Amino acid sequence: MRRRSLRLRLLVTFGLGALVLSSLFASLTYFGVKRVLVDDQQKTDLRQAFVNAALIRSTLYTSPPSLASLLNSIERATASDVLVQTHRQWLSRSPGALASDVPMNILHSVESGRAVEQTTNQGGDLIFIVGVPIPAVETQVFEVFQLKPLEHTLQVLLLLIGGGALLTTLIGIGGGLWVTRRAVRPLEEVSAAAALIAEGELTTRLVVGRADREVQQLTESFNAMVSRLVERLERDARFASDVSHELRSPLTTLATTTSVLMQHRHELSAPAQASLDLLSADLSIFQSLVEDLLEIARTDAGATTLVIETVPAIELVRQSVRSAAQRLGLSEPPVIVREGAGDPRVSVDRRRFERVMTNLIDNAHRYAGDALTVRVEVLGSRLTVSVDDAGEGIATDEREQIFQRFFRGRAAHDRGMARGTGLGLALVRDHVASFGGTIFATESPEGGARLQIMLPTRQEVDA
Amino acid sequence: MPRILIVEDDDHIRTALRLMFEGEDFIVDDAPSGEVGLALFTRMTADVAIVDLMLPGMSGFETCESIRATSDVPIVIVSARDGTADVVLGLESGADDYVTKPFVPEELLARVRAHLRRRPDKSANAFTLGHLHVVPDEGVVRRDDGTELHLTSTEFRLLTDLASANGKVLSREDLLERVWGYDYFGDSRLVDVHIRRLRTKIEPDPANPTYLVTVRGVGYKLVH
Repeated sequence: MRRRSLRLRLLVTFGLGALVLSSLFASLTYFGVKRVLVDDQQKTDLRQAFVNAALIRSTLYTSPPSLASLLNSIERATASDVLVQTHRQWLSRSPGALASDVPMNILHSVESGRAVEQTTNQGGDLIFIVGVPIPAVETQVFEVFQLKPLEHTLQVLLLLIGGGALLTTLIGIGGGLWVTRRAVRPLEEVSAAAALIAEGELTTRLVVGRADREVQQLTESFNAMVSRLVERLERDARFASDVSHELRSPLTTLATTTSVLMQHRHELSAPAQASLDLLSADLSIFQSLVEDLLEIARTDAGATTLVIETVPAIELVRQSVRSAAQRLGLSEPPVIVREGAGDPRVSVDRRRFERVMTNLIDNAHRYAGDALTVRVEVLGSRLTVSVDDAGEGIATDEREQIFQRFFRGRAAHDRGMARGTGLGLALVRDHVASFGGTIFATESPEGGARLQIMLPTRQEVDA
Repeated sequence: MPRILIVEDDDHIRTALRLMFEGEDFIVDDAPSGEVGLALFTRMTADVAIVDLMLPGMSGFETCESIRATSDVPIVIVSARDGTADVVLGLESGADDYVTKPFVPEELLARVRAHLRRRPDKSANAFTLGHLHVVPDEGVVRRDDGTELHLTSTEFRLLTDLASANGKVLSREDLLERVWGYDYFGDSRLVDVHIRRLRTKIEPDPANPTYLVTVRGVGYKLVH
């Protein structure tokens, strides 16, 4: 399963973290402040209500008629509404304060002589109502405080704190973005460089810029690793090439002296003749092996300068098949061009292409009797060249492996004498790839194997 | 009996080659260096020469040039160096052929024999290319003023074979077969380099050939 992107996870973590933390902090602040504010307000209101009630009581005791003027002065001095019920008569100097505003349960409680304080909802507004009984003069004093201003304060507070929380979350996301970029960008650069290197761009290196120490260390280690790897690759390639080179001289002597011995073969005893035949046969395998190794080493090291020409494809295939058959001393398989192929062009190195056809025809000869046909077709912008044989075909599980160096399939084991170098098809694949083409093994309509090359066709001919 | 000059610094290879060619009824002159080889060659002109490229002192390229300066003898380079640059340089220093080590001895023998067999085709008709008159039965190319233009035997053969195709295109393989006499070990670079050398001799502007033209992807033809 492909994991979600690190970038996304970091971003979500930072965003959510900031959101949760700031929400928590905001809630704590809001509810804490609200509680303190409401408590303070109610204490003040309560005190005021009792003070007013005491004033009313003393007025009722001493001079009941001046109650109205007292209520007037209270009304002027406070923001609350005062309602007085004395001897079942309601009295108020506050406009808009009605006896019906006093909830029945409070009225009853106060009438039965208990002081009451309660927060209640009145027509959508929160009010704090305090009821104080003055039983001696059969009077109840009610004072109604509007909680609206407090509520407004709390709303403003909520707005401010909520905004703060939102801002904090955004800052968190921003910080996340920044950190992510800083942390992920080097990773992405490393990954892009690694991908380039995997594609064969061995000169790719990371830029050592003004980065964090960890990133710089990563960059330096990465670059050092690539350099070491490239060095190692080059050394390996050079080694193969050097070894093959060093083998050339002794091999030349061996081959030449063996041919001298062959000139005198008839003078030898039967066992000496048989030994000489074996020597000669294996020597030629050895020779092909060294040649193939050298060619592969050159391809690996990129030392051979490819000579790419854009040429008419059908003529190229015909000529290559002819010289391949001549070179191998085999009869020339017919080249069948599918109707409507037109006059396609391909860009190839002629020598390498000839080598490709030689190895394919040689392969068919070794393992499947002989190449039956070479078919040329154009499919869209691709040219396919198929070498078909009438052998037993290639087992499905070996169709990819046959292009590996030194791979020997079951067919090779069965036909002990038809030993090749084990490099022929590997070379073919390398060469075809150097023209930007591909090769794969499949079945021929005749039931044997089909080795099919696909090359991109070109529009223009070189000048 | 044909006489062969072998210039090769590796003692083992030189001895092996001597043994092989002697076994094939050649008279062998062998030399471990270009200097010795040239001295031998001046004393007794061989019918064919085999020259290694990496030699102590005078290089194989220089040895070829020196031999070519005095003689049209076929020269076959035998070298472990097989990069296109070496092949081209070797052929341009005057060699007729190039064989890479490790070679198949039979192939080297066949090539040497092919070079010995080759004679100018005297039956071809004389023809004219601009100011040049090619006279196959005399084996010479004359300018308008009667002076001779020197072509090696390979170049002369290349020119007359292309001429006898009567304007038809000859592929590199055709030319290898006709000029070098090889059936199956052609290296198309042989043809390309010799065509280029021939152009520098016969074309008024070798970079834009008018007589010896390339037919892309097919081969060469002579227009006259």
